[in-house]
Amino acid sequence: MRAELAVLLALLLGACGSTPKPVDPPRLRAALEAENDGAKRYERGDYTVAARRFAEAAKLHASIDDAIGVARNRMHLARSELVLGRDDAALKLLDATDPGGDAGFALDVWMLKAQAQLGLGRGDAARNSLAAAATLCTGDCPRAASLHLLQARHALADKRAAEALAHAEAALKLLQGKDEAAEAGNAWRLVAAARQASGDPAGALAAASSALDIDRRLALPEKIARDWLLIGDIQRGQAPAEAAMAYRKALDVAQAAGLDAITMIATQALQDNGMQKKID
Amino acid sequence: MSLLTEYDADARSMRRATRRFLIIAVLVTLALVVAIFVRQGLLRQTVSFSFVADTAQDIAKGQAVRIAGFRVGSVTEVDLRDDGSVAVKLEVDADHARFVTHDARIELRKEGLVGSPTLEIVPGSDKTRLAAAQARLAFSRADGLGALANQVRDEFVPILKDIKAITGALADPEKGLPGTLARIRASSEALNVLLANGNRQVDGIGGTAIRVLGKAEEDLTHLGQTLEAANKRLPGMLDRTQQVLDHVEKISAEAEASVPPALRDGSAVAADVREIVGGAKQTWPISSMIDAPAPARLKADSDPRGEAGRAR
Repeated sequence: MRAELAVLLALLLGACGSTPKPVDPPRLRAALEAENDGAKRYERGDYTVAARRFAEAAKLHASIDDAIGVARNRMHLARSELVLGRDDAALKLLDATDPGGDAGFALDVWMLKAQAQLGLGRGDAARNSLAAAATLCTGDCPRAASLHLLQARHALADKRAAEALAHAEAALKLLQGKDEAAEAGNAWRLVAAARQASGDPAGALAAASSALDIDRRLALPEKIARDWLLIGDIQRGQAPAEAAMAYRKALDVAQAAGLDAITMIATQALQDNGMQKKID
Repeated sequence: MSLLTEYDADARSMRRATRRFLIIAVLVTLALVVAIFVRQGLLRQTVSFSFVADTAQDIAKGQAVRIAGFRVGSVTEVDLRDDGSVAVKLEVDADHARFVTHDARIELRKEGLVGSPTLEIVPGSDKTRLAAAQARLAFSRADGLGALANQVRDEFVPILKDIKAITGALADPEKGLPGTLARIRASSEALNVLLANGNRQVDGIGGTAIRVLGKAEEDLTHLGQTLEAANKRLPGMLDRTQQVLDHVEKISAEAEASVPPALRDGSAVAADVREIVGGAKQTWPISSMIDAPAPARLKADSDPRGEAGRAR
């Protein structure tokens, strides 16, 4: 008992003796906490609440005239909107975001814009955004891999399979040894799609399996379901039974995760191949 | 000897009483005189002003001078000048001179339309500067009954002229009321002829319309049969829809009762917890142990929905 008292006293004395750290203003602290809370929820896959927290953080930063904080949180919010499939809302948000002369922010804004435009099928606008991003991403650019992936997506959407494959492989090379598993998964998926479009189903299947392995490790249901759909598409010509199994896997994952759009796609794919499965 | 001494004492006392009475009488008289002076305003301080009028009509010495209806002074002199105009001097109590601005004017008014005339000092808009003593102020006369009558006459004369012109125009046999009535009569006769022609034409159209209506009636009979069939099936469908709606309504009502309080409670609890944690974090020495979070960085993901892989 005496020892515990002595420890407590020592702690109190230590605390009293320590110099108080300068504390951040409460409003700035609240803004940063909201932003970090949003980031945690985003990583957990709770995108709706994450978006709300980012919006709150942007508002708090705006209330203390912190333009950089506002721009950063608007970009976080745009990313949340993109994950939620609200590309239009994300694009509007990005159009209203002022990077304030920060080249890094400007690059992020152009890349996110391109992402939204690709989602909306606006190829020409996406090309312009990617061109603008490319001018800002030179030399030892930390976003080079992501930019290659977006360029690959654009080329693939434009039926330029060889160019898409080149960009995706360049991205893979840049991602080696880096802690960016989500982008590596995206790169493998693009490699698979580009190889399939180039008439290389074996290579495509291997790449799609690599993407699936990564997405399983990251536990991302939407990507896993889409990987299975891709595997089904690759195998449909050569091995219909395996293709059916892949589509069913996609359907199971989509139904379990409540992904209505992918559920419909998988069901349609099964019906197209005469491989109907009773939907729960 | 003692008698004489007693007489002397009485006489001294009488003299003393008389002197005392006389002194008191003089003092009372003086007090009365002062009171009269004060009452008459002879001891008050005044400020003089003047104005020039065309005529002395309704202006007289001793006439009251007012400000906002209160008597504040009087006319002291009314003199005819060499040029035929009238110079009027007036005195205003010094206490009230603060209302007389440099741009004030004096207006001769009558109480009512026919009452006794009074001079009213009307202060000007610039309250920052007062009129100096002996200053000459502007003068005007308010309109009396005669001026009013003239004004009424001036207003009425043009109206009477207009009425005369209008009645003259109406009475004109060509362009006036009689001519217009004659033209209306002729127009109505022409209209009657036109209507008679129209009636004959409508009779012709009527036959065709009756045939068309007959056809429409047949179509409506068919439509009636179709609606009858739909009518037989509709109640059943409506009953089932009603049942579904009843269920939905019941569920909604239950949700309405239970969900919002739960949400409110949850939100309140979350807010409380956040407040407690936030407060604790800001309390020394905990605040010195916890750093404010750095700006967040989200991991790069150029295709968060994995859409890129599938072309179709």
